[in-house]
Amino acid sequence: MSTPLTLAGIGETFSEKSGILNIGLEGIMLSGAFFSFITAYYTQNITLGVAGGCLGGIFISLIHGYLSIRMGIDQTISGLALNFLSLGLTSFFFLMAFGKTTELPECPVVEALPIPLLKDIPIIGSALFSQDPFVYGMLIVVIGSYVVLHKTEWGVNIHAIGEHPKAAGAAGIDVNRTRYITALLNGLFGGLAGSYLTLALLGFFMENITSGKGYIALVVVILGRRHPVGVFLAAILVGAAEALQFRLQTMGTGIPSQVFNMFPYVITVLVLFVSIGKNRTPAALGEPYRQG
Amino acid sequence: MRLVREVISFAAILAVTSLAAAVLVIAVGSDITKALNSFFAGIFGSFYSLTEVLVRATPLILAGLGVAVAFQARFFNIGAEGQLYMGAVAATWIGLYLPHLPIILHLTLAMACGFLLGGLWALIPGFLKGQFQISEVINTIMFNYIAINLVGILVRTVMTNPESPLPMSARLPDDLHLPLMAEPTRLHGGLAIALGCSVLVYFFLYKTTWGFEIRSVGVNPRACSCAGISVKKNIVVSSLVSGGLAGLAGSSEILGIHQRLMEGISPEFGYVAIIVALLGKNHPLGVVLAGLGIAALQMGANTMQRRTGVPASISLIIMGLLVVLILGRRYFINPSPNAAA
Repeated sequence: MSTPLTLAGIGETFSEKSGILNIGLEGIMLSGAFFSFITAYYTQNITLGVAGGCLGGIFISLIHGYLSIRMGIDQTISGLALNFLSLGLTSFFFLMAFGKTTELPECPVVEALPIPLLKDIPIIGSALFSQDPFVYGMLIVVIGSYVVLHKTEWGVNIHAIGEHPKAAGAAGIDVNRTRYITALLNGLFGGLAGSYLTLALLGFFMENITSGKGYIALVVVILGRRHPVGVFLAAILVGAAEALQFRLQTMGTGIPSQVFNMFPYVITVLVLFVSIGKNRTPAALGEPYRQG
Repeated sequence: MRLVREVISFAAILAVTSLAAAVLVIAVGSDITKALNSFFAGIFGSFYSLTEVLVRATPLILAGLGVAVAFQARFFNIGAEGQLYMGAVAATWIGLYLPHLPIILHLTLAMACGFLLGGLWALIPGFLKGQFQISEVINTIMFNYIAINLVGILVRTVMTNPESPLPMSARLPDDLHLPLMAEPTRLHGGLAIALGCSVLVYFFLYKTTWGFEIRSVGVNPRACSCAGISVKKNIVVSSLVSGGLAGLAGSSEILGIHQRLMEGISPEFGYVAIIVALLGKNHPLGVVLAGLGIAALQMGANTMQRRTGVPASISLIIMGLLVVLILGRRYFINPSPNAAA
């Protein structure tokens, strides 16, 4: 559960650090889930399915990028509109392709890929090293994103753009092009996250399969203070809460699952409370940039 | 010249949307005339279908008004959904747990409490924005989920119906129902309340000082604080009114349709209300028209799906497309300097 949240969260982190707030993350994930499913279903090839998912995510994110960067449209609204659009398109084409069946069509599923020697380490071995490739990929992405964002010049540029695009532009950074690239990354990772849902977790697709996970990913980004490792930890926290909820439900306690469902949201509000004063939001987040 | 360009751009939007819809219908393999017929039949086909559109439009108009008021102050209230649910909670509570009062009093009290609780729900993010400049976008979305989960908890614990294992509250007394306006259809007094509120909102926004201040804060907060208009106070007030209206939508659904609290009484009314407000340009009259239009769109699409198999999700596509096109319209009329990029 933490895997798609982390992936989507990191994509969104890149975008927000460069100043683009993409509420359409839900739409990106949904699109990724749908396209990965369709591709995998018709080609019966998982790798192509993953590629399809990434492209599906990029499709939505680039639209959002174009609307925000080129046309300067309010990013909150365009993000919401894209969520509707994505839900509509995926539901529409899914129904068109498969009709109203009670039996959900399935697609090939990714299998666990135990790493030979490492998995035999007692206790942590099976937990850490017998996961499916998505999880390994996610860990690589976390580390890689941290390095890129915080240790490379390009990463510093992204930070600069998010804080004060005019200054960054004056310093010679191509603001728009960088923002398009972060939008691309946003779609890539978001689409990947969506693919995880269909290709690894569930094995099928249905209408609104993401049902709000994209919004939770936004929460994870805030909880993680827009830092790749923070996002990863926040996603684990949310995933743990969900696992705890499942466990408690099977144990039969009278606590409704909704109490745990509320967890990530309440925590986010509290975090926002606490962040009064030291505001680490990129200063130019959500504002369109006019060149010259 | 400007007017001509406006008209052309709107016509273009209409054309593009219709074309997209047509392409989708053909892609499904359906016949366009048949699809169109069933679509309009779903709206105008019978008196019952017309009233169903109005029933659907009622919460959209109320919540849409709420969102519009907030947007006028540039307070992005994405939390209409949660505020709606809280309004529903309040109405059910008043309806179930208050001693028997004269019906009109009881109903009014229930609606008023729906307004208050919804307003309170929006007030927290509103206060956080006004006082601490904390972004309300994520905050209001969070409160949506908190509200929905809260309802889930309430219908399973404190407010659950003792006679049924299902997660829902007991049924409100039969006579505690918003007056039915056209029996045997479901059209209820909520519509009158919605229309009445739109008039009130109009007067509030455009004929009172308060409304003027709220709108000014939305246009230029900096100028306002220089001119002595309290940005903080107005954001807070706008959030209260906004949440209250959305809360009314929730109360109206309970008192007019469902007569009990349960999960899922809102098929994302709160989010669609945002689109209604946008399409209506945040003006009360526009909101009413947009609310009716979107309700009609959804009803028509449902019938179209039932009769011709064209998926009803086409309405979502059209809504998203309309918003994007309308937002982009300004760009096409007057390309910004970014056009070179």
